Amino acid sequence: MVDTKLSRRGFIKASAATAALASAGTVGFNEWSSEYVKAGANAEIKEIPSTCNACSSKCGMIGHVKNGRLWKLTGHPDHPYSKGKLCARGHGYATVVYSQDRLTQPLKRVGEKKFEPITWEQAYKEIAEKLNKIIKEHGPQSVALTEDPRASGKFYSPRFINALGSSNYYTHHVVCSNSRDAGFLHTVGVTATSADISNAKYIMFIGRSYGDGIRPSSVQALASAKDNGAKIVIVDPRLNNTGNLATEWLAIRPGTDLALVLAMSHVLIKENLHDIEFIKNYTIGFEEYAKELKKYTPEWAEKITGLPADAITRISMDMGKAKPKALIEQSWRGAFGCNYENSTETGRAVAMFNALLGNYQQKGGSIFGGKPSLGKLNKEKHPNPKEPEAPKAGSKEFPIAYPNNGVATIVAKEALEGKMKAAIYYHSNAALGYGNPKVMKEALSKMDLVVAIDVQMSETAQLAHYVLPEVTYIERDEVIEGLSGKIPGIAFRQQMVEKVHPETKPIHEIYTELAKVCGVGQYFNFSLDELNEAMLAPTGITYKQLREKGTIMFPNEEITLGKMKELKTPSGKVEFYSETYKEAGFKPIVEWIEPKVSPADDSFRLITGKQAIHSHTQTANIPILMQITKDYDLERIWINPIRAKALGIKDGDMVELKSSEATSKIRVKLTERIHPEAIFVPSHYGITSKDLKTGQGIGFGYMEHVPFDFEKWSGAGNIHEVIVKVRKVNG
Amino acid sequence: MARYGMVIDTRKCVGCYACRVSCQMQNELPVEESYIKFYEKETGVFPNVKNEIIPVQCQHCEDAPCVSVCPTKATYTTKEGIVLVDADKCIGCKYCMVACHYGARTQDHNTGVVEKCRFCAELVAEGKQPACVSTCISNARIFGDLDDPNSEVSKAIVKMNAQPLRPDLGKAKIYYVR
Repeated sequence: MVDTKLSRRGFIKASAATAALASAGTVGFNEWSSEYVKAGANAEIKEIPSTCNACSSKCGMIGHVKNGRLWKLTGHPDHPYSKGKLCARGHGYATVVYSQDRLTQPLKRVGEKKFEPITWEQAYKEIAEKLNKIIKEHGPQSVALTEDPRASGKFYSPRFINALGSSNYYTHHVVCSNSRDAGFLHTVGVTATSADISNAKYIMFIGRSYGDGIRPSSVQALASAKDNGAKIVIVDPRLNNTGNLATEWLAIRPGTDLALVLAMSHVLIKENLHDIEFIKNYTIGFEEYAKELKKYTPEWAEKITGLPADAITRISMDMGKAKPKALIEQSWRGAFGCNYENSTETGRAVAMFNALLGNYQQKGGSIFGGKPSLGKLNKEKHPNPKEPEAPKAGSKEFPIAYPNNGVATIVAKEALEGKMKAAIYYHSNAALGYGNPKVMKEALSKMDLVVAIDVQMSETAQLAHYVLPEVTYIERDEVIEGLSGKIPGIAFRQQMVEKVHPETKPIHEIYTELAKVCGVGQYFNFSLDELNEAMLAPTGITYKQLREKGTIMFPNEEITLGKMKELKTPSGKVEFYSETYKEAGFKPIVEWIEPKVSPADDSFRLITGKQAIHSHTQTANIPILMQITKDYDLERIWINPIRAKALGIKDGDMVELKSSEATSKIRVKLTERIHPEAIFVPSHYGITSKDLKTGQGIGFGYMEHVPFDFEKWSGAGNIHEVIVKVRKVNG
Repeated sequence: MARYGMVIDTRKCVGCYACRVSCQMQNELPVEESYIKFYEKETGVFPNVKNEIIPVQCQHCEDAPCVSVCPTKATYTTKEGIVLVDADKCIGCKYCMVACHYGARTQDHNTGVVEKCRFCAELVAEGKQPACVSTCISNARIFGDLDDPNSEVSKAIVKMNAQPLRPDLGKAKIYYVR
């Protein structure tokens, strides 16, 4: 896989050789390029397949490594998410490997934001002593571990915390898709379906934007659906960047998506456009549901959503006619991942609407993907930790939440109550991103032990007692990742370049070594390679083959469309009526729920979303990406001109934005692309860590304005339940 | 001989900047320097709004003004129609920057050389696509031989009636669908 290629630096050298040709007249391209190749013959370029880490999609990518240094990336052609392409953050985030702001050695906090370097041995010893003391005094449930999961973390993190006897494993989904996950889980038995976009004829997105929260293959699929004449409707208080691919924008009042979906469901049934056969065979509770829906007319929804009743009727009927090649796309965070008090119920209503269309496991509909069959470690030789006896903290309060991911902010709540004593955060900037930063800071400060494992000095790391420096994803192998989908497959993240900083370590090494010092090393008595070999065993693929290809798909295991499987719900069917809900003390049938707060005439709802160049707050310190923010003033808030005019605010003006929680100063972008009731702020800014020199001081942290809260159903963060006022200020 | 050109379908562009960043990495540009710029054009009033994103880079003009004004002939056009800069001949006078109708040129602050999009000539020489094209997540960019009526780019120009951004400013080799 060694190839010789050149870049612009080589080109500059080459151009000396071509100068003679050029000055003699028009130089031929072939003559030029042969000189060019000669001039660059000393560059050794390796192409190494791996996976991206710029967002949770973990697309397949190929690193082009020139003379041992990462030069550029291209999308992996075989990976189902990248399909040969990468987004801006995928290209740019890889430069983190050479960041000036990397953590380079283990640190111990010795004062407010003051750290001193220590050895790994000292770090492990002190962390283990403290963990064991806390567990001895307060029990294993006083310890928690939280991460934004990636392949290695998904395997090692829960294993590590379970080895300590605690069930408290959490993920970032509390501010991502906890609501959607819960809503889907109790309706169709999985936290998410996927969407067969390229074959769909009618596609509705609710808050989800393929053009902003990017998976390249999804955007390609949507573009091809559009080429094939599909109707594409965006439901969003702002015209997001997928707008160009859409055929219609429904500028809904924020927080009212549930009313829209209920009314659309009403229309389907009223007009007899629901899939009666599907409902009969694969669902339960339809009669009760249909009865409840009677009151949710389009006229009722018009008053709540601000969308014309006839548009609601028209779109519902057109979707009914296009079924089963019609769907509401399932989203991640979108408008109902963690946004409003009614988000879990919106998620449930969406899953039910797709059932009314009978689109499950149909071409152009919602898909339950197939999983690859991978092997496991030999349990005799490598025993699993004992299943912890106590339930995960938060599972009693939020029994509807997806148990595997939990409610991560419960750690902060229990820390404030004095119950949670130690927290480990891996690849997670919870202090800035999960809950109100003031509350998170207070919570983390109350604990006896906070450990952050990261590549940079995040706001969470600043609050930790110990900071353990990981290598970046460009410098490490990881656990093999199974890819679910129409065609299952596997992808492998592997090391592209030598470690830049010798005192950094990959996560599997950190867990394995720390476990040993904690006295639970018997659960980590295998190497990463042994684990991966065990996983590969049933596939017939060798580790070497996987290293060469990076992504391998299993076309023989392609799922059959048109055939419904038994679902993992209690009834095995789509549940319009949920006994689980009833037992948990919730209404078993979906009904309209008001958002928690509503803006008045002189205030706005603050809403947030992604930009195509950033991922959470982890990319804010990447110069090649942050430069785009600077060039195009992307940190500004969006205000509708009609509201701005009344407030005497002009485009580019500085304003003060005030909520119950905080006050921020920020410049304004006036745009017709935003609902007059809402102010949009991108969710990537507001870095306060002084060690993140590129990101610090640009924009404000959206979460600063979000009250620390739990949505009643899934425990999600209710991140759009925020009212703000703005006024023009100097600056 | 091929004559290279491109189609950019702004109806598909979602303004994701992947082209900009992959171009910067391909060409090892400083982060402040980019060969691709983006213009946004919002029309209409809430809620009937359209937003167009127009990526602009060197248009590889026929009779390019940057070529004719260059005092040292550092900027030249290959037989395949790609406008290139010979870094060793460039004296950094910025005459070309003034002459360019599209503001497509940038100066490398380290070397003083004025640079711009080169249609990734070295990739094209290997039969590959320019970085901005191969990474475009919505397939909004099509690259190929304008002289070959059967090339994807030629067919796209005919089918979608693609036009240069500013036909009044001379013949360009990037065609836009808007």
